[in-house]
Amino acid sequence: MAAIAATAPASTDKVDWRLAAPLGLVYLAFFAAPFAILLGVSFYADPEQTRLGFESWTKFYSDAFYLKVIFDTLKLGVFAVIATTLLAYPLALVFRAASARAQRVLIFIILMPLLTSVVIRTFAWIVILAREGVINQTLIGLGITATPLNLLQTELGLVIALTQIEMPLMLLPLLTIMNQMDQNLIDASRALGASKWRTFFRVTLPLTLPGWIAGATLVFASATTAFISQSVIGGARLVYLPALIYQQVTVVYNWPFAAVASLTLLFTVLAGIMALSWLGRFARTS
Amino acid sequence: MTQMNRRDLLAGAGALGLAAALPGYARAAGSLTAAIYPGTWEEAYRGVVAPILKKNFGVDVAFDALFAVDQVAKVRAARGVPPFDCFVLDPGPAAAAMQAGLFEPIDIKKLSNAAKVPKGLITSHAVTCNAQVVGIAYNPKKFPNPPKTWADLFKSPYVERLGLTGFQTTFGTVSLIEMAKAFGGSEADMEPIFKALKEAVPKVAAISTPAALPGLFQQGQVDIMYGNTNTVAILKGRGVDIAYIAPESGSITFQTTLHIVKGAENVDAAYKYIDTAISPEVQTALQNAPYNMVPINTETVLAPTLDIKSLDELSKMVTHDWTKINPQRAAWIERFNKEITK
Repeated sequence: MAAIAATAPASTDKVDWRLAAPLGLVYLAFFAAPFAILLGVSFYADPEQTRLGFESWTKFYSDAFYLKVIFDTLKLGVFAVIATTLLAYPLALVFRAASARAQRVLIFIILMPLLTSVVIRTFAWIVILAREGVINQTLIGLGITATPLNLLQTELGLVIALTQIEMPLMLLPLLTIMNQMDQNLIDASRALGASKWRTFFRVTLPLTLPGWIAGATLVFASATTAFISQSVIGGARLVYLPALIYQQVTVVYNWPFAAVASLTLLFTVLAGIMALSWLGRFARTS
Repeated sequence: MTQMNRRDLLAGAGALGLAAALPGYARAAGSLTAAIYPGTWEEAYRGVVAPILKKNFGVDVAFDALFAVDQVAKVRAARGVPPFDCFVLDPGPAAAAMQAGLFEPIDIKKLSNAAKVPKGLITSHAVTCNAQVVGIAYNPKKFPNPPKTWADLFKSPYVERLGLTGFQTTFGTVSLIEMAKAFGGSEADMEPIFKALKEAVPKVAAISTPAALPGLFQQGQVDIMYGNTNTVAILKGRGVDIAYIAPESGSITFQTTLHIVKGAENVDAAYKYIDTAISPEVQTALQNAPYNMVPINTETVLAPTLDIKSLDELSKMVTHDWTKINPQRAAWIERFNKEITK
C-alpha cells in the first residue's frame, strides 16, 4: 500500500504495471492456462487421447470441407461488417446532424437491441423470415411474389439477422468518433468548393476511420462466433466453426479434433482483427 | 459515491459467500443434483417428481438442464468430480457413457418400485424411466393423405415440405436408419439413405438442428418431420396443426434411462429420486397433458391421449442396437455435414 502511494504520483508518463496485475493474473489463470491445455489436447492423435501425433491437425487442414468451413466463417464475418457499415454510416451522419433531443431518442433506438437477449432476437428473426413469416406474408399480400421465398436457412437470411443483432456494436464507436469530429473541417472543405460526396470521402471518412475500425472489429469477432444465430437461423445446412466445435465435443466426443477447430476459430478471428488494426495504422499514417 | 460502491461490493461479496456456503448446507439436509433434458422433461420433473420426492422422502432435488450428449460431455470434462448425481439419457449417449465407465452400478434392492417395471427395463447400470415412440409427424390440414412409409418422405409432394435433421440426436439417428432400410440398406449399409438424402436436399423445406425443428413446424416452414410422440402431443396441445402417424414398417421405440453418476456424492438420495420417478404415482401424472410421456410402470392405466393403447405394443416396435450404432455415428455425422449441408 505504502509502496503504491510512494510510486504513484512520481510521474505521469510512467505506467505502474502493478495496477494491471489483478487482471493479468485472472487472464493467466482463466485464459492462458486453458489455452495451453487446449493446445496440448489438439496434439492427441485419437479421440480417446492416448496417443500423441499431428493426425487431428492434418485431418482438419487436408480436407477441403473443413477449409471451406473456415472460409465460410470468415466470409460471414466480412458480410456482417459490410452490411452493418452500409447501414451505420448514414445513420451516424443523421445522428450527428440531429438535435440533442432527437439524439437521445436515436440512442435509445440504437441501444434497444442490446437490451434484449440474443436468443430472443434470434428467435424473433425466425418469426420474421419463415415461409409464413412477416416478410413472406407481406410480399405475397402485395402480389410481389406468388410463392414464399426461402429466407431461413440461407446465408442471406443469416446476414440480415446478424446485421440487426450486431448493429449496436458498429454504431456505438462510430457515433462517439462522429460526435468528436470538428465541424470546421467539414465547413472548410465545403467552402473550398468540394462536393458533399467529396467532403465525405476526403474528410469525414478518414477522420471517422478509427471508430469504424473499432466497430468493424467488434462486429467481425461477434458475427464469426455467433453460435446461436448461426445454428438457429442458418440451420444445419450452413456449417460454421462454432457449430462444428460443438458437434465434435458433445456428439462425436472427438476432443482433439474439436481443439484443432477451436484454435482455428481463435486464430481466424485474431487474423481478422489484426488485419483491421493494420488498416488502422495505415489510415493514420497516410 | 465511494460509500455506495463499497456497500455494493460488500453486498456482492456477501451474496457470493452465501452462494458458496449453500450447497454444503443443502447436501446435509438430504438432496441431490440431477441432470434433466431442457423443455418438457424439465417442466415435468420440476412440477411432478420434485414435490413427490420431497413429500415422500424429504429429499430436495436441484436440476441441471442439459441434453443427453451435453451431460456426457460435462461429466467427462469434470474428470471424476461429477457436477451432478444422476443422468437421464437416451440409448446412444447411455452406451457411450457406459463404455467410458461413467455409471455407478444399480442395486435393484434399493428400489421399492422395481417389481412394477417390466423385466429388462432395469439393468446393472440403468433404470428405464420412460419409453419414447418415434415416427412421422405431419400437418393434417396441408396433407389429408399423409405419407405412409419412410420412403414416401422422399417423394413429391411430401419432400418439398420435409424438415430434415441429422445424426446428432437419438430420434434423428434411428429415423435415418429406418429410412436407409426403406431404400434397401441397413445399420451396416447406410449408402442408400445418403444417396436419397443427396437427391432430396435441393428440394426439402429445411435442414435443421433438432432443437429448432418443432419451432420451424410451428412457423409453417416445414409441414412434415420425424420425431417422438411426445413432441407431437406437446405441439398439438399448443394448438399447432400436427398429427402422428406410424410408418408401415412400425414406430420406433427406445428407452430413456436414469443412471447414478460414477463418484456421485449423494447416492442414497439418487436412489430415492430414481425410485420416485418410476413410481405409479409419478408415471401416471407424467403420461397426461402437457407432458405426454409413455409410462413404463405396469400399474399405470394408459391415458387415451397417448398414441399407444398398451405397453405390449412397445415390444412389437422397431428397436436398435446402440453398441453397433455408436462406433459408426461419428462417420455418419461427418458424412451428413459434408454431403447434405450447403
